[in-house]
Amino acid sequence: MKTAILTLVTTFAAALSLQAQTTLRIRGSDTLGAKLVPQLAEAFKKQGGKVSFDIAAEGSSTAFTNLASGTAEVGMSSRKVKADERTLCRSKGVSLTEFEVAWDMITVVVNKNNPISDLSSKQILQIFAGDIKDWSEVGGTPGPISVYTRNTSSGTYKDFMGLAMKGREYGTNSQKMAGNEQIASEVASNSNGIGYVGYAYAGAKGIKIVSIGGKAPSPAAVKKYPLSRPTFLYTNGAPTGTTKEFIDFCLSPAGDAIVAKGGFVPLSIAK
Amino acid sequence: MDRSTTPSRPPLRSVLLRSRKHTVLGVDPQHLIRWFFGGNASIAVIVLVLIMIFLLREGIDFLPTYRHELQTYRRAGLEFCDIIDQPLQQNQALSSSLRQAVSASLETLSKSARDRRDAAFLLKRQIEDKTTQASESLSQALEKTPPLPPEELAVLRSELQKATATAAASLTYPDLFNAAEREQLQREFAALTPEVTDLPPLLQTLAADFTAKDHEARTKFASLVQAQEEFEAATEPLQEVVDELKQHAQETKEKAVEFEVLETNRLRLLEAAAKENDPAEKDSLTKEAEASFTEAVNLPERIQAITSRATELREQVEKYAQVIEKAAAVLPTDAGTSVARTMVNDVREGIPVHAQAMRQAAAQLDSWRWDKPVSIFTVVGAFFFGTSWITNSSWQDFFGFVPLLSGSLVIAFIAILIATPVSVVAAIYTNQFASESEKELIKPVIEFIQAIPSVVLGFIGISLVGNLIKDVSEWSWLQWVPGFPIQERLNMFNAGCLLAFMAVPTMFSLSEDALNNVPRAYIDASDALGATKLQTVFRVIVPAGISGILSAILLGLGRVIGETMVVLLVAGNRIAIPDFSAGPGAIFQPAHTLTGIIAQELGEVSRGSSHWQALFMVGIVLFVISLLVNWCARAVARRFEPHKA
Repeated sequence: MKTAILTLVTTFAAALSLQAQTTLRIRGSDTLGAKLVPQLAEAFKKQGGKVSFDIAAEGSSTAFTNLASGTAEVGMSSRKVKADERTLCRSKGVSLTEFEVAWDMITVVVNKNNPISDLSSKQILQIFAGDIKDWSEVGGTPGPISVYTRNTSSGTYKDFMGLAMKGREYGTNSQKMAGNEQIASEVASNSNGIGYVGYAYAGAKGIKIVSIGGKAPSPAAVKKYPLSRPTFLYTNGAPTGTTKEFIDFCLSPAGDAIVAKGGFVPLSIAK
Repeated sequence: MDRSTTPSRPPLRSVLLRSRKHTVLGVDPQHLIRWFFGGNASIAVIVLVLIMIFLLREGIDFLPTYRHELQTYRRAGLEFCDIIDQPLQQNQALSSSLRQAVSASLETLSKSARDRRDAAFLLKRQIEDKTTQASESLSQALEKTPPLPPEELAVLRSELQKATATAAASLTYPDLFNAAEREQLQREFAALTPEVTDLPPLLQTLAADFTAKDHEARTKFASLVQAQEEFEAATEPLQEVVDELKQHAQETKEKAVEFEVLETNRLRLLEAAAKENDPAEKDSLTKEAEASFTEAVNLPERIQAITSRATELREQVEKYAQVIEKAAAVLPTDAGTSVARTMVNDVREGIPVHAQAMRQAAAQLDSWRWDKPVSIFTVVGAFFFGTSWITNSSWQDFFGFVPLLSGSLVIAFIAILIATPVSVVAAIYTNQFASESEKELIKPVIEFIQAIPSVVLGFIGISLVGNLIKDVSEWSWLQWVPGFPIQERLNMFNAGCLLAFMAVPTMFSLSEDALNNVPRAYIDASDALGATKLQTVFRVIVPAGISGILSAILLGLGRVIGETMVVLLVAGNRIAIPDFSAGPGAIFQPAHTLTGIIAQELGEVSRGSSHWQALFMVGIVLFVISLLVNWCARAVARRFEPHKA
């Protein structure tokens, strides 16, 4: 009986002592937060530092709402902060500091068996806005086009609207998926499907990349590709303590190497 | 006589030992127990009331907030631009049909050439997929500096050669190519290497063939192609003017919104500074308030810039209408295939309608007033009868909940349609016809279904049920079913099937209970009259238990309407009213639901914004629907209750 209590107490104490480390809460983009930021977090933990990471990737818009309400230390966003989001944060006493962490290329993908391999920017705009409804209109095998997009909390969603669609809304026939992997799997299983994913997910099985006006996405040609965009990390004011160490790590050459391996374009190439 | 006897007291021992009434805190324990049970019951009622109050408090502010937004929409001039912009979108649908008609006609000449070219490229890609490893190691070796010794490169090259040869031999070449071409393809594919960037000669010939045929087709159908191009180009001058006005209106709106946010912030800080006693804090708050300052927007001036161009806009609309009507007259009657002919006819009929709509819209421009107030009834109508739910838009957010409601209702309807026969018939069988051992098997198994987590069912829906339905829809002997072959594997039917599966245990248990509660007297009377078992079941027992069965169905409906996880994963998430012109086939289209939209969008809304409040309004509607369904269930149960003998 006594030994049982003693063991219980010592385990409890050990567990408590392990809890004595900081938790870094990171919220925001699915493009960054599904694979890249967890990998950066792992590498950061390996090089020492008692930090535990709490990463939730529900879309870039959640980064700003969480930073404004104080429930996150770092926000990941695959788009630049909007003016009204900055104002909202300002009104809650949060001033945002922006750190560019990687460049991403939004890749338009179609099913592997689709004969189309190139589309002009105008055609892409018309397909995603719902003006072009059938593959025969762009020279493919006749069939209605199934458009898959991200949902409204995604930064990729907004970026694509700004870069490829000149601000026009998506067509009402588009289906809103929760993340890059879902779009990839739906396009892979639907021979009439088209969608967009981050460059890191474009190598998935069953889908193929469509070049835009002849320009195909590749890290070397990141500046020329029309749908390249920078991705950011945001903090409240100037970062301090563990937050500062983590941001510094992400911007260091070691972080750069992880970004390159993760399928993004590191700042060393993009700058 | 002096009796100095005190009233007799019982001896101490018996006083201590006599049994007293137990009291806890001076209260009878029976009362305490009763209060404990009653308190738990009232906690449930209190929590329910608190939930309703909370929902109402967050959601009821939606109407004034949305009204304010619609007011800004009007005052900044966005509504003015939309008067022309909205009907102009119809042009796109007509253009799309024309484009399809053009390619259907062009296909008559160029289809075979295109099929051959596409098949050849597909084969090339298949070979590249199979030999990725070998070709990547070769290309990486070639890029290395200093260059590798030629022997190693030769080794890599021969490996690649072997891989491509095997791949080329293993492919099945379609009948589009004759035997000689197939051999040539196989030879050329076997020689594919990343070092040569030019296409193999046969592929080049096929591509050139197609371009030639396409050119020939375009000259043959020149009038149709030209009509289509002219039609598309007709919108450009009008769209330019509208785009300029839209940009101006958007800037006005952004400035107005920024001013509002910063002004409220400034006033809040000033208020806080006035109440603050510490002078340093007061100073910093006042400074912050001053920093949060922007100029107010001069709305009348900015609106004038837009409305002054109304005449120009009207002229452009008139010009546009004339151009497209001319184009309609010029559309060729003979357009190659019958498919193309029907499409061209549809467009020819649609153009005058569209032109008329544009002219009517232009006529509205004059009577539009920027300072007309938006009444609360318009807002209520915009929410409850609005047909588009657009959020996080750079133009204007619209919160119309009809597409969500239609999605929820159709999915619930499908689920109940599937679940009712299954569960009621199972209940009748289990209660009346099954043997004891069968009952012991069926009842626990069906009730176990309730224990399956809904997210697991959603996962099964994505990975198994979706593919199953899609494969079945491609069987040739089922093509008579409306809607087959289906386009999307995540659709309303998929969600309805899974929800039916989830609703069956509830409906089964309740129906079975209802049948069990039929008074024994009825069954005995029926037997006494000489009825067979089947007659007893279907003419006496089931009608007597109908109230319970109906309320079981309604409770199943309530369960189904409120289910979130399954519909979020499986229903396809398309925010649009299903296209019922496809008839019953409309159930194979994707849709979004009331519950799904809350789950999907709640993560991104900032607390207190109009989007947040709109989602709470949707929550209130869901709550009211559930209450209604439950109330109906109880009302039905009461109404059809068999009279107590």
